[in-house]
Amino acid sequence: MKSTVPSPVINTIALIGNPNCGKTTLFNSLTGLRHKVGNYPGVTVEKKEGTVSLGTRDVTIVDLPGTYSLSANSPDEQIVSDVLFGRIPGTLIPDLVIFVADATNLERNLYLLSQIIDLTIPVVVALNMIDRIKDAGIDINTTMLRQEFGVMFIPMVASKGVGTDLLIAALDKVSLNKSAIRQWSVPEPVKVEHEELVSMLVAIEKMPEPAAFHEAQLLLSLSGPIESNLRSLTVETLSHIKMDHHNLQKLGVNRHSVFVESRYRWINSVYKKSVTHNIARRRQTFHDSIDAVLTHRIWGFVIFFALMAVMFQTIFTWANYPMELIGFGFDFLASRVSHIIPEGDLQNLIANGIIGGVGAVVTFLPQIIFLFLFLGLLEDTGYMSRAAFIMDRVMSKVGLHGKSFIPLLSSFACAIPGIMATRTIENPRDRLVTILVAPLMSCSARLPVFSLLIASFVPNILVFGYFSLPAIILISMYLLGLIAALTTARILKSTILKGPTPAFIMELPPYRIPTLRNTLIHMWERSVLFLKNAGTIILGVSIILWFLATYPKLEHGTSSQKLAHSFVGRAGHAIEPVLKPLGFDWKIGIGIISSLLQREVFVGTLGTIYNIEHADEANTSLKEQMQKDKDPVSGTSSFTLLTAICIMVYYVLAMQCMSTIAVVRRETNGWKWPAFQFAYMTLLAYVGTLITYRMGLWILS
Amino acid sequence: MPQIIMRTLAEIPAGTTVTVSHLDSHPDTCNRLREFGFCENATIRCVSNGSSQLICEVCNTRVGLNYTTANAIVVLPSHE
Repeated sequence: MKSTVPSPVINTIALIGNPNCGKTTLFNSLTGLRHKVGNYPGVTVEKKEGTVSLGTRDVTIVDLPGTYSLSANSPDEQIVSDVLFGRIPGTLIPDLVIFVADATNLERNLYLLSQIIDLTIPVVVALNMIDRIKDAGIDINTTMLRQEFGVMFIPMVASKGVGTDLLIAALDKVSLNKSAIRQWSVPEPVKVEHEELVSMLVAIEKMPEPAAFHEAQLLLSLSGPIESNLRSLTVETLSHIKMDHHNLQKLGVNRHSVFVESRYRWINSVYKKSVTHNIARRRQTFHDSIDAVLTHRIWGFVIFFALMAVMFQTIFTWANYPMELIGFGFDFLASRVSHIIPEGDLQNLIANGIIGGVGAVVTFLPQIIFLFLFLGLLEDTGYMSRAAFIMDRVMSKVGLHGKSFIPLLSSFACAIPGIMATRTIENPRDRLVTILVAPLMSCSARLPVFSLLIASFVPNILVFGYFSLPAIILISMYLLGLIAALTTARILKSTILKGPTPAFIMELPPYRIPTLRNTLIHMWERSVLFLKNAGTIILGVSIILWFLATYPKLEHGTSSQKLAHSFVGRAGHAIEPVLKPLGFDWKIGIGIISSLLQREVFVGTLGTIYNIEHADEANTSLKEQMQKDKDPVSGTSSFTLLTAICIMVYYVLAMQCMSTIAVVRRETNGWKWPAFQFAYMTLLAYVGTLITYRMGLWILS
Repeated sequence: MPQIIMRTLAEIPAGTTVTVSHLDSHPDTCNRLREFGFCENATIRCVSNGSSQLICEVCNTRVGLNYTTANAIVVLPSHE
C-alpha cells in the first residue's frame, strides 16, 4: 500500500549569511521589495519579512542581520540565533535556510554554514557575487562543495538577478523530509563530554536535539563564572558543566578554542579541495594603495574632513536653484489662493497657515536630496567602514571604538537608523553610550533650521577664495554636534557607564562602484518620507498654529498687536522670561516648543507666525520678514547674526524629536534612558546657548 | 637549529605574510578573532600598519584592527 502522508511544504524561509554578503540584495530580488542595502557590514539590524512565489504557493521569506557565527556577540547577531532556535514568540522556526555566501571570500563564510548544517535544517547555498571570482583568480568547484557539505550550491549574482530562477527551482526541489546531515564532527578530546551534555540538555532542559548540539559547545567553551551566565539551567546541569570544565582542564584541553579550531581545520581541508587560487598574491594590489591613503594616520583624516566640507558646500550651492524654484512655486500658489478665495479666515488659513507653514519646510527638499546622495555614495563605495576605521583612534580616546562611529555618521541622516545601527556593537555599555550621544549628531531635520537662519543672516562671502562663509558656518554646526557627542561619551564612559575600551576588529568591505539604481532608490525613499512628514505632522501643526495665532481676535490694531493678543502670543509672552537670557523673543520660543515633536516644525511655525503677522505685505519671503522684524518695545532687530547662531547652537544640542525618544525607549527597554537623554540634552542646549549668547555679546561690546 | 621568532601581528610590517601561531587574550576576544578567521595556522597578509592600527587580509577578507586586538595574535613567518 502506498503511503498517503503528504510531504511537508515550505512555509518559512530564512536568509542567513555573514555581514555584507548580499542577503538584502537577494531578499529584494526575490520579493520585489526595496529594503536598504549598502556596502558595509551591519546595514540590516532587524528581521524583515516578505513573500516569494514557489510554483503556485507564496512562502514567507525572512531577511536576517549578518552574523559571523551562531555564538551571538551583539543584539543584531542575537536575532539570528533567536529565530533559528525558535525563541521569538510568534515567529516559527524556518523550514529552510538560504545561506548566502560571498564567493570571493568563501572560506570564512563556510564556518557559519557548517554551524547551520549542524542544526539539521535543510539548507540551499546561494553562492553570491560569482561574477567577481574570475577577476580575483578564484576557481570554485561547486560539485565538490556539494559533496562535502551535503547541500546544494547555486552560483548567482543577486544584484543583477542572475541565478535567481535556479535558486527558486532548487528551493522547490528541496525535500523537507530530508534534513541536512552534519559533516563536521566534534573533536575527540571533548567528544564524550559533548555527547553527555547534549543528552542532558535534551532530557532535563527539554531542548530539541539540534539546539542542544549547538548549546553544548557554547557551554563547554564558556568563560567566566557559570552561575551568573546561566541562571535558566537546573542545578544538576550546572554542576555537570562545572565537572566537565574541571575534567577538560585536567586533561590539558583548551576548551575555549577546541571547537572553533577543529571546525576551521575541517573547513580548511574542504576549502583546499574545492577552491583554487590561480593568481599568485601580489605584494600590493590597487585596493591596498587606496587603503594606504584613505586610512593613513594623517591623510585619512584630511580626506575625511575634506569630503565632509565638499558635501556641505555642495548642499548649500547646488541646492540653491531648485530651492528658489520651489519657494517661487509656493508664493505663486499663495497668491493664486488669495485671488480665488475671498478675503477672510479661510483665505488666511490656506494662504498663510497651510501654504506658509508647509511651503517653508518643503522648500528644503533639494538639500535633503543632496545630503542623502552623498551619504549613499559613502555607504555604497565602502568608504563608511574606512571612516569608522580611522575614527577608531579618536573614538578610543573617549572610551568607545570605531564601530560606534558608523551609527554616529548614519545619524547625520537621521538619528533613528543611527540608533538602530548600534545593534552591531557587542558591548552593552558601549552600545548605550552610543545611543545616548547619537542624537547630538546633526540630522537632516536640522538642515532646514540651519539653512533658513544661515541664508537669512550670514553674509555670503568667500573665505580662502573657495569656501563660502555660509558653508563654513554649516560645517561648524555639524562639528559642534560631533564634538558634543564625543565629549558626552567621554564623560559617560568615565562616570555612570564606566568600562574598559573594547577590542576593535572590523571587516572592511571591498571598494565598489555605487549603482545608480540603489542611490536613486535611497534618495527617493528619504524624499518621500520628508514630504510625508510635511504633509502630515507639519500640515497639522500649521493648521493648529494658525488657529492659535489668529484667535481670540482683536478687532482693531496692527497685525503685530493682533498676534500678540492671540493664544500663541500670550503663551509666547508667558515663556519669554525663560528664553530671554538666551537672546530669544517669544516667537522663537513658540518655534522651539512647537518643534519638540520634530525639529523642522520650527521653520513651518515661523512661516505661519510671520505670514499672519505680515499678512498685509504680499510676496515677502520668510527670510525678508525675519530680517525686518523689530522688537516693538526697543525697536531693535529681533533677529541678528548672534541670535541666528544661538538658535542653531540650541538645535544642535537639544533633543527635539519625539520619534527618536520612542526608538531609544524601544532599544533600551524602558523610559529611564530616554528620560535621562532628554533631560541632559535640554540642559546642555540651554547652557550651551547661554554661553554662546553671553560670549557673543562680550565680543560685540 | 634556526631560531623561530614569534611576534604579535601589531609588529608586522605592511606587505608581509605570516601564520597565526596562537591567540593570547581573554577567551571571548580569542573566539571573536577565530570567527573572523584568525584561527591557529591561518595565513594573514598585513596590508598596512599605522601607528596604532593595522589592516590585514585573512580568508580573503580585509579586516581592520587596533593594536590592543592585534597584540593578541601571535604570529610566525609564513612559508607561503
